[in-house]
Formats: sequence, structure tokens, C-alpha cells
Amino acid sequence: MDKLADRLRQDADKIEVTVSDELDHRIAASLRSVTPQVDSGVAPDSRRPALFWWASSLTGVAAAVAVIVIVNTQQPVETSTPTPANIVAAVPVIDWKTETAMLTGQLQQELDDLESDIKKAEKKVREEIGL
Amino acid sequence: MVRAAQAGSADAFAELVHSYRTRLLRFLLTRCSNYADAEDALQDTLINAYRYIRSYDPRWRFSTWLYRIAIRNAAKLHTPDVVEIGDLRDEESDPLLQCISDSESENLWANARHLLNDEVFSAMWLRYAEDMSVNDISKALDRSVSWTKVNLLRGRRALDAEMNSAGKESQAYG
Repeated sequence: MDKLADRLRQDADKIEVTVSDELDHRIAASLRSVTPQVDSGVAPDSRRPALFWWASSLTGVAAAVAVIVIVNTQQPVETSTPTPANIVAAVPVIDWKTETAMLTGQLQQELDDLESDIKKAEKKVREEIGL
Repeated sequence: MVRAAQAGSADAFAELVHSYRTRLLRFLLTRCSNYADAEDALQDTLINAYRYIRSYDPRWRFSTWLYRIAIRNAAKLHTPDVVEIGDLRDEESDPLLQCISDSESENLWANARHLLNDEVFSAMWLRYAEDMSVNDISKALDRSVSWTKVNLLRGRRALDAEMNSAGKESQAYG
């Protein structure tokens, strides 16, 4: 036995405790009022009957068969595919110039205003300098 | 006796746990903030043990099973939602120090509580105060065997260092 283990054992024995008569009676009285629970440590039985697994397996197989049958027996739906000529006719003609003008009109106005401001400022500076 | 207790005999159970009461109380005292709490924890432990005695697996040692319940009860008491001022330990109100006579003030277990966390302290206690095997300790703490071995080693190192430093100090002052 090593020194530390010896010391720990001795020190544990030096902790003086006594179970008082009052505590003893209290514990005894409490124990009499308690009844052990039946299988309390075991989780409730959650197993399902064997029939459940058979039923769910059959349902799954039936659903799979139904899907296969539906997919294979369904007639292909004829869809009218547009000819190239129809596609060209269907595409709307976009007035690109108009759209560009609409998009850049405000920017152009802003640019004109800025140029005008610069010219005014330049003119004012020239007057102040005396040129 | 276990079978009689499992059949519902409170007297058989009381006889069964009679020899464990003082040992359990000593252990709980190291984990509770006052003597009354330790007594309450002992009472709760024994009541819970009796209530669930039918779930006791005889492959376990009875003391291991009992300590597992005690550790859980102590953990509940040790982590209150609100810590009251009166629950805080100090040198004067510490129940463990009160149970150690003045001449034995250098009790390693008193230091161990400050050096080790609750689980490592419990592992050390079960190993050295209760002579439990590593397997039983791991069962009682609901930890793996490797965790138990590693933490017992850490606990030993911490207490070894504490014991050696205390020895050197006493030599220096002696």
C-alpha cells in the first residue's frame, strides 16, 4: 500500500460522523411509507406486435406496385411542339433604341447639368482672377 | 436479504443498508454544504434505493449501486438553482471541517475538495476510502473505465503534490 493511499484511508476514518437516533427513526418511518416500484428501472415496453410489421411491409409493397403500374400504363400525352417559324413569330419585337433612350435619358440630363455647372464655375473663377 | 427487500420488506432493506449508513453519510458530508443537507441526502438516497430496489441488478455490487444513487442525490443538492448566502462554505460552517477534530486539521480530504472537481473527488473517495475497484467506480459514476483510470491518476498527482508541499512546509517551520 502506498503512502498516499494509506493517508487517504486514515483521513477518511478521521471524519467523525454518527447517524443520530432521530435520523434513524426518520429513515425507518420514510421507508415504511414507500413501496418498491414494479420494474421501475425498465423503460416501458415499446415493442410492436409482429402483425404491425407484416401490415406495414404489405402496404409498402402494394404502394410500389401501384406506382409501377401507373407509370407503365399511362399513355404519353401528345403535345404540340411549335415549329421554328412559329417560334420566330411568337417572339415579340423589342424596340431596343427606345429602351436604351429610356434607360440613359436621366443620366444624360445629369451629365448636361454637371457640364453646365463646371462651365459656370470656370467662368466665375476667370472673372475673379481677372482674366 | 436483497430478495426480501425486493419483495417489499422494508425491515429487510433497513437491515441490508444498516452497515452503509455511516459510510454514506461520511461521503455525503464531503459533498454537502451543511450537516443537515447531508442527512437529508442520506435519507433520500435510502428511500430512492428502496423505491427502485426491484431494478437492482445482482451482477452489480450492492454498495456500487447504492453509491451511484448517493452521487446523483449529492449532485442535485450541490447544484442548486439559487445559491443562498447560508449555503456558501466557509472555514467555520464547513461541516467536513467540523467533523475533523482540531488535532487532525491537515486532513487531505478537506484539501481534495478544493483541488478536485466533484466527479474526480468522488472517484478518489470510492477508490481510497471505500476500496472500490476501478470497474465499480466507473459504474457508480456512469463513466468509462478509461476515464476513471485517467482521472484517478490526475487526482493522485494533485493530492501527492499537495501532501508533499504540506510536508515540506511543516519541515521548514518545524
